[in-house]
Amino acid sequence: MLLVLSEDHKEHLAFLPKVEPAVVREFGRIALEFIRRGASPKIYEGAARKLGVPVEMVQHGVEGLMFLMTESSKHMISEVDFLDSVLVLGFGEELNQILLQLYLQHHSQIRSILSQLPSNLPAYHSLEWRLDVQLASRSVREQVIPMLTIHLLLTKGSDSISRVLQTDPRTLLHLISTLEAALASMKTSHARRILRNIK
Amino acid sequence: MELSESVQRGLQSLADPSSFDQSSFQVLVDVSFRSLLSSKGDPAVLDQPELKQIDQILLKQCHTAATTFILEAVKQNADKSTISSCLEELTFSAERIEIFYSTHQKHKKELECLLASIGRRPAQINDVSWRLQYHMKNAQVDKVNEPFYSISLKSENEGSSEDINFTCTMEQLQDLVGKLKDAAKSVEKASQM
Repeated sequence: MLLVLSEDHKEHLAFLPKVEPAVVREFGRIALEFIRRGASPKIYEGAARKLGVPVEMVQHGVEGLMFLMTESSKHMISEVDFLDSVLVLGFGEELNQILLQLYLQHHSQIRSILSQLPSNLPAYHSLEWRLDVQLASRSVREQVIPMLTIHLLLTKGSDSISRVLQTDPRTLLHLISTLEAALASMKTSHARRILRNIK
Repeated sequence: MELSESVQRGLQSLADPSSFDQSSFQVLVDVSFRSLLSSKGDPAVLDQPELKQIDQILLKQCHTAATTFILEAVKQNADKSTISSCLEELTFSAERIEIFYSTHQKHKKELECLLASIGRRPAQINDVSWRLQYHMKNAQVDKVNEPFYSISLKSENEGSSEDINFTCTMEQLQDLVGKLKDAAKSVEKASQM
């Protein structure tokens, strides 16, 4: 699959051949740092001063690199496709190789960062349980009620959700048998066929 | 059993044959149990023909005393001898004690359930539903191609139900089921002690 770069994007990246390869590598490092931690405008100013170019040019160059890296990682494009996509920018061989190395070294890391973005569904983290027997309450003395208290920990993005729930032994057995059926459903030939064929 | 003065006085009046004859005694005992078990408060609960002759204020005092006594007996899981000796001290005849006790036995289980359901506790899980899905892609990442489960725990708390939804991978679900099975094993061991 080839990446289609917009005119704006190409313009932003046009800055790169005008500087030393070492500078391009430095920009690549900055771009990855920004993907990991977020952008920091001060760095743009420092670099612009050293190179004697307007701040915007530096900013666009780095952002263009970031976008190139994230789009390539998102679609998991192959080496060949990456080089072909970059060819359209008309850079020299050395520059193309630098960009390719940047992509190959970091694409799985970038992918894992990207995949942390769309977590708007709470996800299971862990479960703790304990068995208690209720002996009395304010309204009834002399009880013998076994109960299971469950502490469920979920994560939602970067927040964690904690729920305390209770259940009785019979419901517990029902939960276990229902969830075991859920696990078994992954092993059916239907599920296996789909998992095998959609890659 | 510890009873307040007003409850004791109300019960003593109930025991007195000159205030409550045999039939009105039986009716008041039945009505007292019934008013505790019905889900809605019925203002006409004391409008029984057998009770019309009795002074209405006295009637209300006796009804309150009787219901308080019933609740206290169920709460403490009082046995026959405790109830009998308590009522004997309050001048109940052996016959009236018997009538009261047999009605008590008839309704005891239901009242126990009612009392046990009063009180705060964490949400109770009563069911779970699940879906197996295949995550292909999303807005940020293409070619994800991973199966995952969507689990929904149905829970209930004081009448209102709540769904707790979450996703998990197969390994996480295996971990979850493993822990639940450990819990079930410990319940089984405890029940054999």
